[in-house]
Amino acid sequence: MTLELSRLAGQVRVMGQQLATREREYADLVAQAREWLTQYADRGEALRHPARGFHAAIPTGEPLDAEFPLPAIPERFTFIAADGTEIQPDSHEIAYYYLINVGYLVYRHGSDQTPEAHSLPTIGYAEDDIYDRSRLVSGNLLDIKRDLAEITALADLCAAEPSDAVTIAVVDGTLIMWTLAGASPDYQREKAQVYIQQLEHIRDSGAVVAAFISRPRRGEVARLLYLASVDGDLKQADEERNPLRHLADYAVFEMLAPGARSALFASPSSINYDYYEKEGHTIHFFYLNVAEEGGAPAIARIEVPAWVAEDADRLALVHGAIVAQARITGDYPYALIRADELAFISGPEREALEDMVIASLVRAGMHAALSPKKYYKTLTRQGKRKFR
Amino acid sequence: MSENRLQVGRVLRAGVQGFVVGCELKQPDIPPFGSFVRASGITPGSAIYGLVYNVSLEDDLFARHFVGRDIDDAVIKDERENRQVPVEVSILAVGCAEGKILRQCLPPHPPVTLDWLYQCADEEVRAFTARLDYFRLVLDARQTPVDELLAASIRAAAAARPEEEREMFLVGAGRELARLLAGDPLRLEGLLRRLQTA
Repeated sequence: MTLELSRLAGQVRVMGQQLATREREYADLVAQAREWLTQYADRGEALRHPARGFHAAIPTGEPLDAEFPLPAIPERFTFIAADGTEIQPDSHEIAYYYLINVGYLVYRHGSDQTPEAHSLPTIGYAEDDIYDRSRLVSGNLLDIKRDLAEITALADLCAAEPSDAVTIAVVDGTLIMWTLAGASPDYQREKAQVYIQQLEHIRDSGAVVAAFISRPRRGEVARLLYLASVDGDLKQADEERNPLRHLADYAVFEMLAPGARSALFASPSSINYDYYEKEGHTIHFFYLNVAEEGGAPAIARIEVPAWVAEDADRLALVHGAIVAQARITGDYPYALIRADELAFISGPEREALEDMVIASLVRAGMHAALSPKKYYKTLTRQGKRKFR
Repeated sequence: MSENRLQVGRVLRAGVQGFVVGCELKQPDIPPFGSFVRASGITPGSAIYGLVYNVSLEDDLFARHFVGRDIDDAVIKDERENRQVPVEVSILAVGCAEGKILRQCLPPHPPVTLDWLYQCADEEVRAFTARLDYFRLVLDARQTPVDELLAASIRAAAAARPEEEREMFLVGAGRELARLLAGDPLRLEGLLRRLQTA
């Protein structure tokens, strides 16, 4: 049966009205948040300790309301962007396997060279691939493998650059392995170590690394502002209702001028403190308006490890390079768009891979068959039809 | 000239009246409008001859975004050399061959998907245009800019001949056109004018 859009029309109309109302309510909350940002701008030092206990953004030495204009952009630098996609394993398929595809673009600013565009597809099918500590690899476990594949590709590409080159490696998403949340400490440590090792390789190559998150929903700075409003009192903060609890940080920072960044904060994530901090890679973040002059604000959250955050030159390179890339399109880094395009696996490509797998199994003398469930889905999902 | 140098692209879709091949924009030798091309037939030793009647670039939403923007050369190079810009070359079938026997008629079968399409070497063009029966196929091909295509193919066939033979070939082609378009003198005049630039 087709999706009965007529049954949804009423719900969608109400949804539109309620979202518009919420947007108007948010405007008041944003005004409140900005007021607190100014009012408590110098309370960073006092809030640092309670912020961690409240899972709020952790202030650094910069005033909370600091705004840093676009720094000078180097004439020549190399911007390497990577993004990954995956095909989840499916027990109803012909064979149990997964695919990770990492796309990357190497864009050399200030040169006439054609950017290098590649993708690195890896198929996992061996016992060691599809089992991780006796658990079948899928969902979050595969996301972890994809995150590691992305950062490894970036580290390898940075290592291949000349040591005197100015290079920035950018991952689409986050540098914090959120996908590890909920796993055992032992497992978290093992995977985080591998990730951190790649961050170290990037540092050793002389490059800088950052993560770009477009229109982030996180509200860690908003939590910090609420905490500031109760004078850093954790008990009071827990007991009272936080009016900013649903406010995303990006809305607060839409007042940043085009090209400007916010103050730096450290991420309160326990994964950050349990693993990254110990190795000198504490993940910091700031908000950045990557829009052009006169354009609507385009706020991104930029994450960097401590060795970038604490080095003014490296931080300025990340700031300037990301804006320079975003100005190619107007409001989003060109290389990240291309990395996503290179990583993307289309429906026909997925089908072609399935055909290749079937052919390979048949050639090897193996009987290949879909599960009955999958077989019938292939019959019913070719195109929905309705004869009335 | 080696076969590799004459490769145009691979067949994407095909019928007996014509077919479409896909090729990369960075390819230096996309054959011009009106030029002679050849694809392999289904049976061994067979071939299908055709004329290029359109070269088109498919629309691309990402590239559209940059129209009107001041963009770096690197972006243009990335768009042209790395992104898969699908250039489609449309071919009108005008003949076929079984071994050494050439026929100027529609082929019995279309070429097969992903078969290579080759530009015809001068020698092949001369052999194929030793007869001009394909004129009628072109004149009947309503999906193409008929007169422009026919004139361009005649000019291409003349150019494939030594200089001293060109005039004689063009006179012969003019006579054949006069025979086929005897009832339409205005159209004939237009076609002959187009040939004068050869």
